[in-house]
Amino acid sequence: MNDFGPIFRTLLRNKLGALLIALQIALTLAVVTNAAYIIGQRADDVARPSGLDEANTAIFHTTLFDSNVDQQQLRRDDLDALRNLPGVVAAVPIQSVPISGSGWGEDYYTTPEMTSDESINFGMFMVDEHGLDTLDLEMLGGRNFRPEEMTLRSLESFESPRVTIVSQALADALFPDGDALGKTVYDEPNGEKPMEIIGIYDHMQNAWPHSDNVNRTALIPAYANFGGQMMYLVRAEPGQRDAVMAAGEAYLAKNRSRIVEHVRSYEEQKRRTYDGDIAMITLMSAVITVLAAVTGLGIVGLAWFSVTQRRKQIGTRRALGATRLDIVRYFMVENWMITSIGIVIGIVGAVTLNWFLDTEYSTGRVPLWYLPAGMVALWLLGQLAVLLPARRAASIPPALATRSV
Amino acid sequence: MLSYYLALALASMRRTPVLSSLMVLALGLGIGAFMTTFTVYYLMSGDPIPHKSDVLFAVQLDNWDPNSPPTESAEDVQPQLTWQDGLNLMRADTPATRQAHMYSTGAIVVPEGDEPPFDENIRATYQTFFEMFDVPFLHGGAWDGRADEERASVAVIGRELNDKLFGGGDSVGKSIRLDDNYFKVVGVIDDWQPTPRFYHSDWSRAFADTAQIFVPMTRAIDEPMGPRGNTNCWAPLDESVPVIEAFLKSECVWTQFWAELETPEQVAAYKDYLDNYVRDQKEVGRFPRPLNTFISDVNEWLDVMGVVGNDNRVQLRLSFLFLVVCVLNTVGLLLAKFLGKGGEVALRRAMGASRGAVFSQNLVEVGTIGVLGGLLGIGLAWLGLRAVESLYRGYQHLVHLDVMMLTAAVGLSVAAAVAAGLYPVWRVSRLQPAGLLKTQ
Repeated sequence: MNDFGPIFRTLLRNKLGALLIALQIALTLAVVTNAAYIIGQRADDVARPSGLDEANTAIFHTTLFDSNVDQQQLRRDDLDALRNLPGVVAAVPIQSVPISGSGWGEDYYTTPEMTSDESINFGMFMVDEHGLDTLDLEMLGGRNFRPEEMTLRSLESFESPRVTIVSQALADALFPDGDALGKTVYDEPNGEKPMEIIGIYDHMQNAWPHSDNVNRTALIPAYANFGGQMMYLVRAEPGQRDAVMAAGEAYLAKNRSRIVEHVRSYEEQKRRTYDGDIAMITLMSAVITVLAAVTGLGIVGLAWFSVTQRRKQIGTRRALGATRLDIVRYFMVENWMITSIGIVIGIVGAVTLNWFLDTEYSTGRVPLWYLPAGMVALWLLGQLAVLLPARRAASIPPALATRSV
Repeated sequence: MLSYYLALALASMRRTPVLSSLMVLALGLGIGAFMTTFTVYYLMSGDPIPHKSDVLFAVQLDNWDPNSPPTESAEDVQPQLTWQDGLNLMRADTPATRQAHMYSTGAIVVPEGDEPPFDENIRATYQTFFEMFDVPFLHGGAWDGRADEERASVAVIGRELNDKLFGGGDSVGKSIRLDDNYFKVVGVIDDWQPTPRFYHSDWSRAFADTAQIFVPMTRAIDEPMGPRGNTNCWAPLDESVPVIEAFLKSECVWTQFWAELETPEQVAAYKDYLDNYVRDQKEVGRFPRPLNTFISDVNEWLDVMGVVGNDNRVQLRLSFLFLVVCVLNTVGLLLAKFLGKGGEVALRRAMGASRGAVFSQNLVEVGTIGVLGGLLGIGLAWLGLRAVESLYRGYQHLVHLDVMMLTAAVGLSVAAAVAAGLYPVWRVSRLQPAGLLKTQ
């Protein structure tokens, strides 16, 4: 490895060319680490479990528009039919779907004295006693709703249930000592509308996956008759979801006093909810790929050209006894030096860019291990890119040295 | 001369096909990526109603919970109003030229005959809406002020719905069925899609379609047609009256309110009016927070609502850096290529070409690469925009390339190529011909 000196001194003779590649590598490192960090973050967000049996759940959204129809009776008929479809595990009426972006936010107060800035905000879901089963929630303690506990919420009446089942995260927020089960919470300040926590389930996300309190949720036993919106969530046996969706839609569409707004798998809903994140992941992946390609091709182009320029010197070195390997090594070492200079500048660039993006657009701080990963990737990219021109250089015959001088 | 230089440029590019195509490709990719994100950004931050954006003002009144954090700017205040405040302002004699109160609702449209019923979004508002926002009519026009007072069952429908229900004919005077009720059509709107849809830009709805049905708000409340947008409440509803009545007189916010104010004096007077209105309401026990009212014109309002998201800004920044990498790449390749042309340049110089002639000839070559890169960039930007459109729902009105963007793409590409080529071209024109000629 005693040829470092000569290679470096040769590099200095074409400072600008080397500096241009180094700068390009620096910027590439800066952009790639930040883009990769954004991808990682968004992918983590999307991968969080919502708590439901995501692969086997379907959403049926219908709207009743004939005011002469008895909405309660229609719901009972619908649920009877849906629950009896082949392949259905459970079905529940629900006023909004977890992570769908549209839902009901509510506050619980743990004491009558509590004020609204101390109350605990959460996402509320109105279901019947099939809620736990359909939403695939595991009870950590307590009991399910009973049919006689159901209440009705409509434009005419707004009944308040006496019981509620909460998520572990909401239970911990309400009662940090871990003794939430059996406790009373108030739906309104001044001790109004008390409810007993009759059960605690493991985990379910609320309607807004980008909110801070995404894991704080609760179920109440209620039917929601606001306007004609009627929604059902159905959980199917593995592999049966699509058949259940088709059969369910066919049944619901038979009634001409309503329309079926959409029948959607839960997975499709998740894609819609996270479309911004998925778009960001796709776009950032494209940026990384194309940027690596441009930088790599640039290195290939320049090295190719420099091989053409140095044909005679290479021939002379070969004539003086340099092996093919020596020639290949020359170009690899040269590239390694340029890349390393670029990486040093690039680390500063990556940190600066991240600082800027975090301050301006709160993207978060890139964890340090992204830097070594990016460095290794760029070294590899440089070495791979230079391999082809280097091999071409190695194939220059020594006889060239004797020609045309 | 130019055509001769162009011929030379093309010949030179053909001599180094790999290097030349790499340069065009790099420039094209850089331009394509940057133009994609820039187009999205440019259209998102566009002025939806340029000739009136400085006289239309969104109104905010801070009726919120006394226990929530203090208000420092318009961003901290609910972007919507309660129904009762909007109604009071509509009824009052304010300094505004016009005011419009509105909310978003919906119904099932039941066509005559065998066509299946379908769901439509409805904007419930006042007659003033159409004139304030310069809504273009195809047939008929807005309902008159009496219809607002009398809660009349009248509707203005969009062109798309008119095509669907009435085969595109003049449907003024005909009826449409919404849920259980019939509404008489008084006007048909021509294609109208302000982008962003500034008058209701909360959440992700800024680029949504405009509604195809407009009805008097007084009629919609009478029905009642429930709100479809975001509804936010902080105080419990009064339980001594029916739910709908309690909701209407509650502190829940779910309506939007706009005022047209043509002079600075009018703006000041209107702001005073709002402040006094809130003071009056404080007298009757409402508005427990310190006095905060805000009016924002259209462009200020789009900022308050954060219509251009952080993701779009991050994409724009990163794609700009991407373009810089592509330009650096091109500088390197051009430098290599032009320094390799020493012999040819020396020959031309020896034959009598001046430095200036060599300089401009090579600049034409660089410019040609720029134009080719720009054209490739337009193609890639078009593909990029199609990709963006399929990635995000609700961007359909947003992503299109207009003539200005096309020109900008080619211009930017040529500028980038020339910037990249200036130094290499200058270097090559400074070469001493004598020394280079000797080695031939």
